[in-house]
Amino acid sequence: MSRRLPPKRRFVRPQWAISIGVALAAIGFVGAAQWNSSLARQEFVTSAQRVLIGEAQDLQREQDDLRAQIEEAEDRVRSFQTTSAGSQAQLDQINSDLAEARLESGLVAVRGPGAVVEIADSTRQVPPGESVNNYLVLADDLRDIVTALWASGAEAITISGERLVSTSSIYSAGSAILVNTVPLVPPYRIEAVGPEGLHDRFLSNQAFVGRVGRRIESYGLQFASEPRDDLELPAFVGNTRMRWGAPETAAD
Amino acid sequence: MAGRIAQLSLFVVAGLIGVLLVGQLRSQARPIELSNLSPQELSGLVETLQQRNVELTNALAELREQVRDYERAEVQGQSTLELTSEELTRVRAFAGLEPVVGQGIAIRMTGPFDPTAVNDLVHELRNAGAEAIAIDGIRITGRSVAVLGTSAIEIDGRPLDETVEVLAVGYPTGLQSSIERPGGLKTYLEQSLDVTMSIETRRNLRLPATERDLAPTVAEPVE
Repeated sequence: MSRRLPPKRRFVRPQWAISIGVALAAIGFVGAAQWNSSLARQEFVTSAQRVLIGEAQDLQREQDDLRAQIEEAEDRVRSFQTTSAGSQAQLDQINSDLAEARLESGLVAVRGPGAVVEIADSTRQVPPGESVNNYLVLADDLRDIVTALWASGAEAITISGERLVSTSSIYSAGSAILVNTVPLVPPYRIEAVGPEGLHDRFLSNQAFVGRVGRRIESYGLQFASEPRDDLELPAFVGNTRMRWGAPETAAD
Repeated sequence: MAGRIAQLSLFVVAGLIGVLLVGQLRSQARPIELSNLSPQELSGLVETLQQRNVELTNALAELREQVRDYERAEVQGQSTLELTSEELTRVRAFAGLEPVVGQGIAIRMTGPFDPTAVNDLVHELRNAGAEAIAIDGIRITGRSVAVLGTSAIEIDGRPLDETVEVLAVGYPTGLQSSIERPGGLKTYLEQSLDVTMSIETRRNLRLPATERDLAPTVAEPVE
């Protein structure tokens, strides 16, 4: 009598087991990457850096607080300027001139059509021996974009919410970019209000096509732009007072 | 039963992946994270923030003084017209719509410079705290940039000479050392563009008002 062998059991691998296997592998990879990157960062933070970082953070908080207080004090000044014991007609005229000057200075929030530009660091792998800075957005890139926008007819510009005025600075402190001394993080969003065609003129402007345009192409900096029908840009908040100069008077 | 366990496991695993991916993306984002700056860069940043906070503190003190002036004027039944007129002149000077006098530096630049060099110089001066700038008698407003015109470099539609004089109102020593610092803009322009620059501090600068109409045509104030 021959013994019938039990049917050979087919090895069935459930679909969910494969998914979980793949997912666990992904977790392992991402977890290891995180672990490595956090270790690397901790290794290089010295005690001197820690002190300076604390100082910089305190100063940034102080700056935020000062800007808020300036905004509040300016509101108070404006409320005084709308009431007077003197001639109402004269006061109305001066206040109208003042409102115009504030608008022309960038001290008033504005709205209108324009263009939005976004730029961020490259996601490309930095080839060995090449400077990592080539693959990061630099202060020069933002300056060139802003220059091209002004040259294309922009009437008001912000970089990541910081309104540009006659004294605005855009500069690097290491890998950080400060605009109006406010440290900003990528992606940098540049919004500009200006007449029709601003976006097209900007894209063909030499200030854009030249330096920053080449860097976008060569190093793969992330870039996007589009025209917009309606943008709202905040007012500049900061110091508008001169310390080393003054408006010329008849006595000068 | 096995199906439920599978679903639950997938749910937990997907959640874990999500959390880890967010963490990883955040850690890869370019840090303004101060921990990535070198001690020298951090010192520079701290110094800049300190200077700017002093300026903001001074500006706040002046604003509070202005509020007190208005309060006094109100109590004494005086008109606020005069105070508001002064404010008008001050804001117009800030915009570049009024001539400005003060101390600062004068830069003479000669050579084959291009619009980028002129714009970089303006930015450098602003970074160094310039309160007002004029180039060849053209007052630089927030919207003024150097562009290549038909036959010369132009600012606000006015051509520049081959030798330009740049006047900047601000802390004279600070402005000068910023431009002349080793590896700074002066060195860069002299070496890369063969430009010659001479810088001197001045006590009595006069910068004209802009001739440009700064009134916006499409930007409207937000009430």
